[in-house]
Amino acid sequence: MDGGETQIVTFARHTDVALESRAHCLELIEGSDFGRIFVVGSAPVTLGRTSPADIVLNDSEVSRAHCKVVVLNDLLVVTDLGSTNGTFLDGVQVTEPTPVPVGGVLRIGRQLLKHEWRTEREILQHHEFERELRKANAYALALLPPPVTEGPIRSEWLFEPCSKLGGDAFGYGPLGDSQFMFYMMDVSGHGAGAAMHSVTVMNLLRQRAVPGADMTRPEEVLRTLNTMFPMEDHAGMYFTMWYGVYDKASRELRFASAGHHPAYLIPPGRPEAIALRTRNGPVGADPETTYRADRVLVPPESSIYLFSDGVFEIVTKEGLQWGLGDFVPRLTGPGALVTGECQRLYKEVRGLSQASSLEDDFSLLVLNFD
Amino acid sequence: MDIQHSDVGDVRKVVLAGRLDTAGVDLIETRFGASIVPAGKNTVVDLSQVTFLASMGIRMLIATNRSLSRKGGKIALYGASPAVREVIDTVALTELIPLADNEVEAIGIVAG
Repeated sequence: MDGGETQIVTFARHTDVALESRAHCLELIEGSDFGRIFVVGSAPVTLGRTSPADIVLNDSEVSRAHCKVVVLNDLLVVTDLGSTNGTFLDGVQVTEPTPVPVGGVLRIGRQLLKHEWRTEREILQHHEFERELRKANAYALALLPPPVTEGPIRSEWLFEPCSKLGGDAFGYGPLGDSQFMFYMMDVSGHGAGAAMHSVTVMNLLRQRAVPGADMTRPEEVLRTLNTMFPMEDHAGMYFTMWYGVYDKASRELRFASAGHHPAYLIPPGRPEAIALRTRNGPVGADPETTYRADRVLVPPESSIYLFSDGVFEIVTKEGLQWGLGDFVPRLTGPGALVTGECQRLYKEVRGLSQASSLEDDFSLLVLNFD
Repeated sequence: MDIQHSDVGDVRKVVLAGRLDTAGVDLIETRFGASIVPAGKNTVVDLSQVTFLASMGIRMLIATNRSLSRKGGKIALYGASPAVREVIDTVALTELIPLADNEVEAIGIVAG
């Protein structure tokens, strides 16, 4: 009789699943707002670049009214609305109303939407998860310092994580009365784990409280962090960092980098981009790493650029792989000297990039010195 | 992205081919670690067919090097193209993992 009871329990579970109502959904798996889910019912839903489309996709390659989807006889059906760039289902252009199989992927401009058939519970869980991620992202953003628009050292920055949470972090601020510190870090990997790691380090630096380290000595800060955050104890994550301390009176900048590409000093007139870095391994990768610092004088009316590798590691629309050497020349020349420099560079990179969304976190910090 | 491994005497040799970016690393990371760490041998990694090295590829190299070093083994890289060499130099990877010009030199480094 035990076997009979087991059969009944198994049957009941199947029944529960079958009775739970499901809905046809489109999930953005690549694009401007990936992760979002749109539920589609028997009323037609229009996708387009601007209102009055029901689903607005912020993508210049999407037409105003691009296509529509609707559920007919429990099938999700897509119809192109005469869009400029076409609607594609699993790589094939849609020329007539076409059923979209579960798991099928629609390409609309640079957006990819996957057909999912989900229970209400799954949809609610997804929305809850999205809300939690937004809260976590808001916390990480709240730790970043506000731009400084007045005074002898002004700052602006742009932070665009490639996923809901990013592993980049940066900061700046006074160090005593006479000095000013600033840094950029990039945790290996993306997502929640990398973000939690970067937030931990960022909080130490915000408090100017790396235990036992003289915060005015970059090599000492990096050495101490390397001791505190070995990758074996932190889920295999290490991070790269650039850390500098500027002395207002002498105009001397002491700096050290750890597995991070250089920061760049742009003198007045913007004739060249001077690389600022020291050869040190990343933080957490090897307990034996020694850290060296260097120094440079910052001429009046100079700028310093710090950024993560997501700023330059892109594939262009022509399919060319970009590297640091392709990006750095864009730092010199006219630029947007007063404000808007970060936006200028972001637009340039996004405009050149093949991908609909950047594949890595984009973090850029610009400091302008009197 | 492709990966192959063989032994040259007591040294493990791993040949990587393709783009070591996020997608490429996803494809081969498990096999890369499995071909190096369990054996615990000194290892040389041929990068001559790697066309691009991104931060995720660097992370894979560093993590595997760390795991192997805890078992007493060493890794040396060799054959990097100018573009890959530039990335390695920019992030000072050679502070952790030596980079040789060719296989003989790389074997000499790990065996020495």
